[in-house]
Amino acid sequence: MEIVLAFIIGGLYAAGLYMLMRRSLVKLVIGLALLSQAANLLIFTLGRLIRGRPALIPSDMARLVEPFADPVPQALILTAIVIGFGVQAFAIILIKRAYQTVGTDDLDDMRSTDVMHGSSSAPPVNLPNDKWRSPVEATLRDEGA
Amino acid sequence: MAIIMAILSGFALTVVAPWLCRLARGATGWIIALQPVGLAFYFASQLHPIAAGGVIALSYPWVPGLGIALSFYVDGLSLLFALLISGIGALVVIYAGGYLGEHPQAGRFYALILMFMASMLGLVLAGNVITMFVFWELTSLSSFLLIGFDHQREAARAAALQALLVTGAGGLALLAGLLLLGQAGGSLELSTLLNEGRAIQSHPLYLSILLLILVGAFTKSAQVPFHFWLPGAMEAPTPVSAYLHSATMVKAGVYLLARLSPVLGGSEAWHYLVTGAGTATMLLGAAVALWQTDLKRILAYSTVSTLGALVLLLGMDTVLSVKAAMLFLLVHALYKGALFLIAGAVDHETGTREVTRLGRLARAMPVTAVAAGLAALSMAGLPPMLGFINKELLYEAKLQAPRASVLVTSAGVLANMFLVAVAGIVGFAPFFGRRADPPRMPHEAPLAMLVGPAVLAGLGLVCGLFPDAASIVVSAAAGAVRAEVTAVELKLWHGINPVLGLSLLTVAAGVGLYAARGFLRRAGSIGDAIGRWGPRRWYSLLLASLNGLARVQTRLLQSGYLRRYLMVIVLTTVALVGSTLLLRGGLTEPVPSLLDARFYEWTIAALILLATLMAVLSPSRLAAAAALSVIGYGVALLYMLFSAPDLAMTQFAVETLTVILFVLVVYRLPRFASLSSRRARLRDAAIALLAGGLMTALVLTAMTLPRDLHLATYFAENSLLLAKGRNVVNAILVDFRALDTLGEITVLAVAGIGIYALLRLRLEEPADSGSSQPEEEV
Amino acid sequence: MEISIAPLNLLAIAPQIVVSVTALVVLLVGLFLPEEHRGRIAWPSLAGVLIAAGLLYYLWDRNDLTLSAMLRTDGYSLFLNLIILIAAALAILFSVDYAGRVRLPRTEYYSLLLLSTTGMMLMTAAVNLITLFLALEMLSIALYVLVGLNRAEQRSGEAAIKYLVLGAFSSGFLLYGMALVYGQVGSMALDDVRVHLLSTGSQSPVLLWLGLGLMLIGFGFKVALVPFHMWTPDVYQGAPTSVTAFMSAGTKVAGFAALGRVTLVAFSGLQNVWIWVLAVLAALTMTIGNLAALRQTNLKRMLAYSSIAHAGYVLVGLTAANRTGLDAVFFYLFIYAFMNTGAFAVLIAAHRLGSSPVAGENLDDLAGLAEHRPWLAAAMALLMFSLTGVPPLAGFLGKLYLFSAAVEAGLIWLAILGVLNSVVSAYYYLRVVVTMYMRDKKGAEVVPAPLCPALQLGIAVAAIATVFWGLWPASILNLVTITTRSFFGG
Repeated sequence: MEIVLAFIIGGLYAAGLYMLMRRSLVKLVIGLALLSQAANLLIFTLGRLIRGRPALIPSDMARLVEPFADPVPQALILTAIVIGFGVQAFAIILIKRAYQTVGTDDLDDMRSTDVMHGSSSAPPVNLPNDKWRSPVEATLRDEGA
Repeated sequence: MAIIMAILSGFALTVVAPWLCRLARGATGWIIALQPVGLAFYFASQLHPIAAGGVIALSYPWVPGLGIALSFYVDGLSLLFALLISGIGALVVIYAGGYLGEHPQAGRFYALILMFMASMLGLVLAGNVITMFVFWELTSLSSFLLIGFDHQREAARAAALQALLVTGAGGLALLAGLLLLGQAGGSLELSTLLNEGRAIQSHPLYLSILLLILVGAFTKSAQVPFHFWLPGAMEAPTPVSAYLHSATMVKAGVYLLARLSPVLGGSEAWHYLVTGAGTATMLLGAAVALWQTDLKRILAYSTVSTLGALVLLLGMDTVLSVKAAMLFLLVHALYKGALFLIAGAVDHETGTREVTRLGRLARAMPVTAVAAGLAALSMAGLPPMLGFINKELLYEAKLQAPRASVLVTSAGVLANMFLVAVAGIVGFAPFFGRRADPPRMPHEAPLAMLVGPAVLAGLGLVCGLFPDAASIVVSAAAGAVRAEVTAVELKLWHGINPVLGLSLLTVAAGVGLYAARGFLRRAGSIGDAIGRWGPRRWYSLLLASLNGLARVQTRLLQSGYLRRYLMVIVLTTVALVGSTLLLRGGLTEPVPSLLDARFYEWTIAALILLATLMAVLSPSRLAAAAALSVIGYGVALLYMLFSAPDLAMTQFAVETLTVILFVLVVYRLPRFASLSSRRARLRDAAIALLAGGLMTALVLTAMTLPRDLHLATYFAENSLLLAKGRNVVNAILVDFRALDTLGEITVLAVAGIGIYALLRLRLEEPADSGSSQPEEEV
Repeated sequence: MEISIAPLNLLAIAPQIVVSVTALVVLLVGLFLPEEHRGRIAWPSLAGVLIAAGLLYYLWDRNDLTLSAMLRTDGYSLFLNLIILIAAALAILFSVDYAGRVRLPRTEYYSLLLLSTTGMMLMTAAVNLITLFLALEMLSIALYVLVGLNRAEQRSGEAAIKYLVLGAFSSGFLLYGMALVYGQVGSMALDDVRVHLLSTGSQSPVLLWLGLGLMLIGFGFKVALVPFHMWTPDVYQGAPTSVTAFMSAGTKVAGFAALGRVTLVAFSGLQNVWIWVLAVLAALTMTIGNLAALRQTNLKRMLAYSSIAHAGYVLVGLTAANRTGLDAVFFYLFIYAFMNTGAFAVLIAAHRLGSSPVAGENLDDLAGLAEHRPWLAAAMALLMFSLTGVPPLAGFLGKLYLFSAAVEAGLIWLAILGVLNSVVSAYYYLRVVVTMYMRDKKGAEVVPAPLCPALQLGIAVAAIATVFWGLWPASILNLVTITTRSFFGG
């Protein structure tokens, strides 16, 4: 099963990363969610998989009996799940607000830090859609020294 | 203690100077000059004990961890410099009073020049190389501020920055050299280092130390190829040029070489590097000076030449050459200081510094003219001036040089011929030459501007006639450099010998060059060629290429596109992790038992992967959200199956909440649009798959390696101690989980506050906030 | 069922508790205060920070493992917490007027500032990977929010998005690294990792190397090491300036604290491997940071790049991996907290003096400052000189310390590269001085606005500190050496 999980992790990771590289804000959030699932599963797998033996002490016993699932990585995952939730919730609200102020869902319209350079009153510059070409104009306007 | 006071009083006066200037107005220069005059007397009073071989040393702790102390070490060499700094300092301050007049920024000027004076004194009196470096940089800094004093002009600003960058860069090289020197010599204290010469010269770091320190000294003392900042620095007010860029600061490099010559000197490398740079500088400066027409630039290039000659003498490193160098230091400070001040007076009175427009000023400015004549005689090395004695000593030292004496001597004679002509151009022609047309009709300069030139030029004459006073100072200094008692006997007449012949030849040729100056200028200039191909061009090229490099890296890395940032991080990681895995043979065949999975597990896995694909490809936002929840629940099921029920519970709860939130908010956002091009998508997909593949490889590798069991035993032995619990797992569960939960709650609270703050921002904003225009500030 | 609860040594983390409790109190109080009085929240916040700093003094010579060996209160964490609290206190002083003027929601603002401080302070004490992760997230999430609070700025929201996405992404790397380490060692405690490596040495499997490498990426992102630095200029520029001031100092301290514990303690057995990685990172970080700063005319971006370069300098000290190196790192972080927050504070002041929402951000905004605000200009000049490393200011001593450590460790090329970088940096720092002193203000009117006394106090403290610790460093250096001696000794 570990091998299967390895591929699931790889798949989730690739999908998450791909989504993070999209231009739509909503896709960013989806990407974050996928990545955090991948991370949690990775920790889980590296903590070794054991079927059906949770680290719970049965009521009639005083201690755990080997083998049992390692509780330490589970503690880390639990932390990561909860934190991931916090981050995602905040991210969702943040993109909502960003959409409301900027009026677009397109991340590439959000490069004012580089383009505008100090004059936030200038409108966002419209750039052509294909972003692979090097944004020379933008950087040329960047830093005039 | 008096040494500390000498330096501190300068810094203290720096702070007070602007106020003083407001109170005393025109008399400020005279009042402030009291301080350097006092210092000069103090240093003069130390002359006898130190000439007898005494040393003043004191030390206060500063950074004990690094062996850096605020320590001072005063011997003959320091004393010679200290006398020059305070003596000429006093004259320059007085002169500045007349030069600046009622300049609105005069207070600032006095403050800066006092700061410089104190720093320069600190430099030559310091006994710890780091202390010395501190003052070294302070002199560069005050020089920067003084060159840029007239900051309305772009030229002044540019020259100031250029001077600072060149000397500052050299200074930092010096710092690196000094740190290595400390490493090699085992101490940063001069008193210790001076005795470690042999150990340091055999140290493997010796060559690096030498090179770094030489870069520091050469930049400061304007040696080829770093000499170009000095003529540029002539943008400074004239008192500054006279003081910093002729008499004192530019000699700091010479001081450093002299100071460290017992430690670093004597080796082949030292000899060739120092002598070579010195010779080149001496010739270049002298030759270029002849073709200049601006008084200050002529003087600047002749200063460059002198600095070269001084460095050359120190490179030769014989008793005689060191004596000659020390005397030359003194002589040059006297006549060049005077000539600079005179150039300032001429400029002040006539409104021009172009030698072609100056002539016959002697009638209007008689005192200045006499001073100029005396200084020029000394510069040309004619009797009965101190300059003559000095030139005789120079030639004698060069003739007796242990290596390449013919070469060195002829270079010296050649340079001196030019300097004789230059002396005529600056000290004779403007006053006694043909009549010319200055923009203003001149008068004699005010008293404050006469004292300096007169005293300096007069001293050159007096010391020439009665050389004993000079010989005490010079022998004390030479003794300190050679670390042995050195008697220097100076006299005007040495009898008829080869040296006298060389002198005659020099003067004759020099007069010839002087006479031919008009013709030479028309014939074309060496300076032009050097300007075109010389190091100044390299300097601007270097700045331009740095700028270009900065632009390229900004364009490459700082695009503002989030995805580019991600790509850089991902690709770096993939490259590093992947190469390590491959090179270190981390990749091994997976164990087949790890593939063992049950049917429902396969189903869940397939479901997760399918949903992932759907989340990525789906054009609908709701479908993507649904796919996300399928993935989440699938992962939760996996947790459940593999013994982590509480993880599963949390995951179910969190997943549900996320999806609800997502759907609620996303519903208000625009539909997915196909924004990226096909090519961009393919590229991103390739990168993503690469990174995903790497993750898979990592997990597979991790699973095949056996887990280390060192710690199991360690844990068993120490569980009571560490976790204070009987059962290891119990302890982990109870304590760790409890704390985790506390931490998680805090983090959630932080996120909650954030969400609340953002939502509230929305509520309070005015209705038109949808636009991208920021609101005006109230 | 009987549960044996280990006695919690809460005293050892009292400073952290005080700061977080202050955050909650501030939040509650703020909710019930009318909007016009919310500016006063700054004072209880400041009081909390100062009390925590006082507690540090009380705890000074402790060396306690606490909370089931997840946190360690020792000289290391106490000293670094002192720096964090200084940065927080200065940031609060700078915010008194600024937060109201740019209409930040002050209740949440101060409370988040304190929570992020708590996260940083926990991070310096964390000796377990889980705590480390938790602390890192606590400080990061608070900062994500703080960065996005500037409502007048569209850039603020963007900056927050970039920071959040990249931050979450690199936290992912941190998690992967931790998982790999755990997978090999079987424990999350740094001391256990150390014990493991001491027994296996460099024979340890490659997965541990990779684990360390991935964790380095996570921390490297937080302290802005090249090539994980690219968020810095965008985020520093977009965030409210007071937040930038705080995070530029505080995050670095926390990140380097974690880096230090992970490399010098946990992975000391792999020193010969990571030294080279860190050396290359340091070289890249210094060089790229300084080069990029050369062309900036936006001061916030320039200071952002300069902060990247300074992270590189600090890393040189860590790379030296000797006591002098750690001394240097501590001393540098200490003075850096003053220099850098001070420089941003001057920008806040310049913002007050201008009229546009981005006043004080451009180099031209400082033109002629020496004329109409001589003291402000003098303070800025001191800070710039100190950042350049001009003697005898504190920044010079700091660099001297760092480079001496590198020389001592035999990393001479790194020391020389550091020196060369200082030369490059001189160019852009001095340009600020030149602008203030040698250029005249063009056209625009001078706003005769009085500066808030708290802001003035903060700037004065920062400027005086650069002079004071430069001339009399012994007091702080004694503290530093005692701390590092016990760190390496025990």
